Amino acid sequence: MSLPCGIRNYTYNTDMAIIRTRTQWALFILFLLFLYTMPLYLPRFGLDVMNLMGITIISIVGLNILVGYCGQLSIGHAGFMAVGAYTTAILGSSLGLPFLVSLILSGFSAGLVGLLFGMPSLRVKGFYLAITTIAAQFIIIWIINHWTDVTHGSMGISVAPASIGSFQFDSEASQFYLIISVAGLSILFATNLARSRIGRAFIAVRDNDLAAEVMGINVFSYKLLAFFLGCFFAGIAGSLFAQWRGNITSEDFTFGQSILYIGILIIGGLGTAIGPILGVVFIRLLEQFVMFLSPMIEQTFSGLPSGFATGLSPLVFGLAMIIFLVFEPRGLAHRWHLFKASYRMWPFSY
Amino acid sequence: MTQLLQYTVTGLAVGMIYALIALGFALIWKSSRVANLALGQLVLISSWFTYSMLVQVRLPVWAGMIMTILFAIFLGWMIERLTLRPLIGQPILSLIAVTLGIGYFLEGVVTVVWPVSVAKLPPLFPQEPVTIGTAVISQEYLWATGISLVLFGLLSLFFKYHKMGIAMRATADDQLAVQACAVPITSIFSMSWIFACVVAAIGGILISSIGGITNGLIETGFKSFSVVILGGLDSFIGCMVAGPIIGLCENVGAGYLTPILGPGIKDIIPFVIIVIVMLIKPYGLFGEERIERI
Repeated sequence: MSLPCGIRNYTYNTDMAIIRTRTQWALFILFLLFLYTMPLYLPRFGLDVMNLMGITIISIVGLNILVGYCGQLSIGHAGFMAVGAYTTAILGSSLGLPFLVSLILSGFSAGLVGLLFGMPSLRVKGFYLAITTIAAQFIIIWIINHWTDVTHGSMGISVAPASIGSFQFDSEASQFYLIISVAGLSILFATNLARSRIGRAFIAVRDNDLAAEVMGINVFSYKLLAFFLGCFFAGIAGSLFAQWRGNITSEDFTFGQSILYIGILIIGGLGTAIGPILGVVFIRLLEQFVMFLSPMIEQTFSGLPSGFATGLSPLVFGLAMIIFLVFEPRGLAHRWHLFKASYRMWPFSY
Repeated sequence: MTQLLQYTVTGLAVGMIYALIALGFALIWKSSRVANLALGQLVLISSWFTYSMLVQVRLPVWAGMIMTILFAIFLGWMIERLTLRPLIGQPILSLIAVTLGIGYFLEGVVTVVWPVSVAKLPPLFPQEPVTIGTAVISQEYLWATGISLVLFGLLSLFFKYHKMGIAMRATADDQLAVQACAVPITSIFSMSWIFACVVAAIGGILISSIGGITNGLIETGFKSFSVVILGGLDSFIGCMVAGPIIGLCENVGAGYLTPILGPGIKDIIPFVIIVIVMLIKPYGLFGEERIERI
């Protein structure tokens, strides 16, 4: 990573630090202040969007480990989220486990299911693996819909809001603090993971798995580890989603959601730390914008068919995904890096 | 016994339609190594287009068919020209993701243009059921089977003898060598997409004339993936063999397992087959096994 002119690193610690200059520290602290005071001035609706963003970020961070760093395409991420969500719901309601325990257990259960469906990656890759994860999505949702004794099928299952000790996260603002804190921890963990031996092994597997194997990386176990970690995050996100929503059905984790997650990751930028955040913010804001816009369009052009608004958001999103793949396959993260570079170089062009 | 025969006949007929849709996938994979995950949405949008031609515009059946096929040709050409050609040479992940994006986009278009979400095509084939032994089957299934077989035959002949077909096979084998022989591979890619869309449109018409048009057609597209996976991605004969097998498993399995495992088991059998095939024989029955070298 490059530094502004005149700044040098003299120790290993400063060389490895994520936040490096005083300006960065100042900006970071300002950002944290801004983030953690949001409930004071955002309306309830805005907090709702922020919470959804936080949960999606956790899920996408996991997907980024799996797809962005390790290169194993998974189109069943919503299915793995569903596993985590239902684990929390069932553990919380029937066994009455404390929230933190069921949060971790949800991550593990989703991770184990991910391991199961990651097994074919021993022999296949690319499209074959994508198809397996699609199958995973449909099988998981089918089991949820038909194992009615445990999951109550299409009726949905109700989940109590999270609590730690005697503190209940029952207001939107307290949920916000919970979700944003977990999201922050996930981002920190994933960023550091990518710089460790494991992360570098993932990247080697992604870029050329044969060469990686020759260099002494156990490709299969790293692929499985990527599946486990990716789905672990999905499980955590699902668990938070379940206790935030209060009532979940399989309708919350459709195949369309899985495609949405892949799209968010691509729009944000594969294999970068900042990509998931930018992608989620962009897509969720776009969604809100479309929702805000569609009644106005319907009023202006009265001859439109009635289902117009529901189709608009997949249409816009699909278009965004195609446009990004064609014109900016490295995603918003690349634009962000370009912006940072030009800021650092200013007023010189290079 | 009567039941078994019934399940078998229905399964084989449905399987032939799956095989037809799967052919569209194999066509694209064979020539350009692009995995088309928008298969179900292509089927859906062309079924809706047929519906609007036949019911909303009130064209006669033959004219409606011609319009649908023209629409499919246009759609295939547009998709290849606008989204896949700029991505030539990109990693497989982008290629898969862009077809997902296309699928999502088409789904949005369908919801915007035809918000009714369920419709029925006017009857295209004679309605009287036919009895085979003790099983009763509606004629539509037989027509669908027949049309699938004829199309399969035509496509195989095309690939075997026509100049374009040979060029397509050559492109699948080695793109650089083909370019060195002055074959325009971009036009081959766009040809393969046009073919795939036409095949998907015909499959769509056949299957929606039997079961009506719903969003379930997208899932039918996904079920066709189990056909390509079982048959091997680059094999036409694989599609035609695996299609009926999947149809059989689905219908016979559903017939006997529904009392034990509850309704809906029918929709999950193809996906379970995918996972099993992946673990045991990932390149399918007739697929070419690629050995990687460094």
